[in-house]
Amino acid sequence: MTPKKADRILRFSPAQRLFHVTLILLFLTQGATGLGRMYIETAWGKGLVSVFGGYEASLTVHKYVGFLMICGFALHVLYLLFRINWREFPASLFKPDSIVPQVKDLQNFFQHIAWFLGVGRAPQFDRWGYWEKFDYWAVFWGIPLLAVTGLILAYPVGSSTFLPGWFLNVALWIHRIEAMLAMVHVFIIHFFIAHLRRHNFPMDRTMFEGSSSLEATRDEKPAWIARLEQNGKLETRLVSEASPRIRLFYYLFGYAALGAGVFLLVGGIVNSPYVTW
Amino acid sequence: MGRCALWWGPDGVELGEKQTMLMRHINGRRIWPTIVLLFGLVAVPTTLPAQEEVSSAIRRYKDREASTGFYEQYEAKPFLQRPFISIPGVRRGFFPYSPSAAQVRIRTRLADSHQGLKFYWNLRCEDCHAKETKDIHTVRANLTCRQCHGGEPIAGLQYYYSPFNLIRRHAYVCAKCHEGASASFASYVVHTPNPAMASTRKTFPLLFYVFWAMVALAGGTFLVFLPHTVAWGIRELFVKAEKTEDDSEKGR
Repeated sequence: MTPKKADRILRFSPAQRLFHVTLILLFLTQGATGLGRMYIETAWGKGLVSVFGGYEASLTVHKYVGFLMICGFALHVLYLLFRINWREFPASLFKPDSIVPQVKDLQNFFQHIAWFLGVGRAPQFDRWGYWEKFDYWAVFWGIPLLAVTGLILAYPVGSSTFLPGWFLNVALWIHRIEAMLAMVHVFIIHFFIAHLRRHNFPMDRTMFEGSSSLEATRDEKPAWIARLEQNGKLETRLVSEASPRIRLFYYLFGYAALGAGVFLLVGGIVNSPYVTW
Repeated sequence: MGRCALWWGPDGVELGEKQTMLMRHINGRRIWPTIVLLFGLVAVPTTLPAQEEVSSAIRRYKDREASTGFYEQYEAKPFLQRPFISIPGVRRGFFPYSPSAAQVRIRTRLADSHQGLKFYWNLRCEDCHAKETKDIHTVRANLTCRQCHGGEPIAGLQYYYSPFNLIRRHAYVCAKCHEGASASFASYVVHTPNPAMASTRKTFPLLFYVFWAMVALAGGTFLVFLPHTVAWGIRELFVKAEKTEDDSEKGR
């Protein structure tokens, strides 16, 4: 049996992949239970909550999964604290391997737009594209916002001892709009960019497998590959492809998540006129 | 000492030992400390803990209300507020306060807020309060109007003895379902105005501004990233053509 060719470059650690898979499952559950309750006046909403045991049970699931998300976020912050290079802090936050937004990302964004319009060359992306940084930080501030407003709404009597009761009205709308923003962004923009655009079609397995095709990465993130080659670190990051069975599982999981997301998105849009907001 | 001297009083009535001692004090000069003590008990303010149980409005109020919260004196009495004496935003004449005018023109302060409405008994709540019958409590929790507003006559919200008066709404209405509801909790706006409407800027400004801020955030995100995503998807369709041309030029 010939050894597998190491033609993929490692991009994500097992911990990062686990965070992402957990986030997918929790996010979809929150989306389904939240939308089910919000659309309870429609047959679509009733069907959605019936999956979780009904209107009241959906709220219970929503709360427990919300707690899990908060715990996951806390774990992620701890993970970040261990991953940050404190010896070179704060300069380490602004190195090419950092996911912290930098001025270069803004330049890349406009250069990318110019490339879309055919009036400029494609930017030389490094390890993280500006869209990846945006996705990461959108989740990073989105979860605390949803968590705080969610806790206020989950415990209205208790929270109204610290806040005026009318803030529950405000918290409900913050929670709703932020959740809808997150779902629409993930189910349209993130899904399309990560999986459906031509470069990644039919699916980008990188976040599940941990590695991406070296050639595809060289094409999309040439600055990163050039930097690794220059430092002589490219060889250390090369890995082989996962077995066909595992790849099949990645595809099934990925498309199940994508299908669930599109179902929530389309159902939410189609049924929105029949809901009392 | 003989038995008669100890147990029988001057009129031949049988007395206990202590009463006999008291009689001696009354007959003697040691009566004054007793009088001072009795006068002191009357003169001391009624804030003695033992008396509060029966005299405090707070205690009696708590006996009647359903919540487990603790309420201060001002929550049980009007205190410095003067109920039903003015019309908000309207000053009429030299002396603008008129209890009768208020009772007629401000339904929220009437004991029967629907007083005088023609054919009232043939009407349904949603005939006049259409918007109020569609909110989270009615649509999501399946509550009916009566479950909160009670039976007839439905007192105006600001009528002093109304269960909906803010001084007791939390205990008489909210706490039926939300155990332990406080006065702060009761400030939740059940019939939430549409946050997008300009009128909400006056009635509930924070809700209005927060709503539009969040909409601006979401709208801004989509305004940038939806066209960006579409343009990216279209642009990548032409990448292959470019490469093919390059490849053909290179003879590959």
